[in-house]
Amino acid sequence: MPFERILVAIDGSEPSDHAFTKAVELALATDGTLHALAVEGPLPAYAATIGEVDEVKREKDTFFSALCARARQQAEEADVPIEVELRPGHAAEVIIAVAAETNADLIVLGHRGHFLRDHLLGSTADRVAEHAGCPVMIVR
Amino acid sequence: MSELAIAAILAATILVASTISVEIGLSVALIELAAGVVVGNAFDLSVPDWLSFIGSFAGIVLTFLAGAEVDVPQFKREWRASLLLGGVSFAAPFVVVGLFAYYALDWNREQAEIAGIALSTTSLAVVYAVLVETGLNQTLIGKRLMSATFVTDFGTAAALSILFITPNLWIVPFVGASAVLILGLPRMAPDFFRRYGNRVIEPEIKLVFAALFLLMWLGDRANSHAVLPAFLLGLALSSHYAQHRTEQQRLRVVAFAFLTPFFFLKGGMNVSVGAVWANLGILALLSAGKMVPKLGGVYPLARRYTAPHAAFTTLLMSTGLTFGTISSLYGLNAGIIDRTQFSLLVSVVVLSAIVPTAIAQRFFQPHAATEQARDEAGAPMPAVPAEALTREVS
Repeated sequence: MPFERILVAIDGSEPSDHAFTKAVELALATDGTLHALAVEGPLPAYAATIGEVDEVKREKDTFFSALCARARQQAEEADVPIEVELRPGHAAEVIIAVAAETNADLIVLGHRGHFLRDHLLGSTADRVAEHAGCPVMIVR
Repeated sequence: MSELAIAAILAATILVASTISVEIGLSVALIELAAGVVVGNAFDLSVPDWLSFIGSFAGIVLTFLAGAEVDVPQFKREWRASLLLGGVSFAAPFVVVGLFAYYALDWNREQAEIAGIALSTTSLAVVYAVLVETGLNQTLIGKRLMSATFVTDFGTAAALSILFITPNLWIVPFVGASAVLILGLPRMAPDFFRRYGNRVIEPEIKLVFAALFLLMWLGDRANSHAVLPAFLLGLALSSHYAQHRTEQQRLRVVAFAFLTPFFFLKGGMNVSVGAVWANLGILALLSAGKMVPKLGGVYPLARRYTAPHAAFTTLLMSTGLTFGTISSLYGLNAGIIDRTQFSLLVSVVVLSAIVPTAIAQRFFQPHAATEQARDEAGAPMPAVPAEALTREVS
């Protein structure tokens, strides 16, 4: 059966929510399992005070713990087996690494469409699609 | 230009700096410093007296906050390694840069001492950010690094307060008030905060500010500086803040919203781009003066105490930002160093925040999971020869 192990990247954005919904539908259709991955981006670089780092970290922790809990609840309501993981790092690099570690058959992620940033730096979806070792589904 | 016009320009600059910081994930302090450089040089704005005053107070608040962030129980557990690592991290560049500035650059003794102090610092916050981001703050190497950084910062605060003192009778009330506050506030804080805390009028923050202003005034009258007592006062209250995070958070909000932006803007506005450009060779030599003794002094100890990640430790101990800027601004405000010397010192400080950190993260960053496994296996970094540890790890 294809797509038994589906890795879905979540970041709380609207496209990411769409991607998660599609991943749940796909897992139901293929009788597969979900591995939801949230990537906590970097803290302020070269901070001058511990407080600045602490406060950003606190905000991120609160946000991502709620995000992970919501993903787990949605999957459980759909009766889809799920593992939820939160990792720090660069989004595209971590998604590709976790896909390899978990032998994912498919990566599902949303495309946020930051016009300027995407043209200057490339989007996370572009990078994952280019470098992943398995099929990638980008949801808009 | 009127003072209100300058205030409006600076307030807009602070706002823009904050939004840029959020968008690109760079520390707001660095952006405020850079914005200060732009505003100060492009518009030829001089630093008004009120900005200088707020900036000076903000520097003391930053020092207090740095003391309040120290994990005292952790330091007590790691005091021996921390004292050695942190002590050498302060002393080696202080001596080398000081001697270099005095003999090679022909700076006078006090100017050379300011250079030595400013470039001997280690940035607690830069180190902390790297450790927290990777989860290494939970490992022994991370805890040792943080404790050692505290020692280096203490060296900076002590040197600033002691080296430039010209004692007069005011030293008695200055030392007396410092002792009373450092010993007394932690004892009275719980009762005071319980009775007056948790109100929008924030009496607990006003208490801290009143104490810091008193120390600044007495320090000024005693021809000294309030950096050391402010740092020690923060340290004395660190246990209280560790148990009352909301109070600490409120203090941070006030400091970050209104005070520290003016401190870093003031620092940036005093940097002369022309002076830095005209002295790039000296800039390079001062950078080397900071880095080489840090590498030479800290690395052998790091091989002993934080093996097998001595290079990572050494590079992070070579960072600097807040205390380096505080020291340089003190020298400038006190008329010890001129604007060119200040510009060079702050430029080296900013470079030292970025370059060693980037190299450490790119090439030498340990994996937190591996380190945690090593800690749990009971094979951390004891005080044994590094070769033995290397064999054990491999």
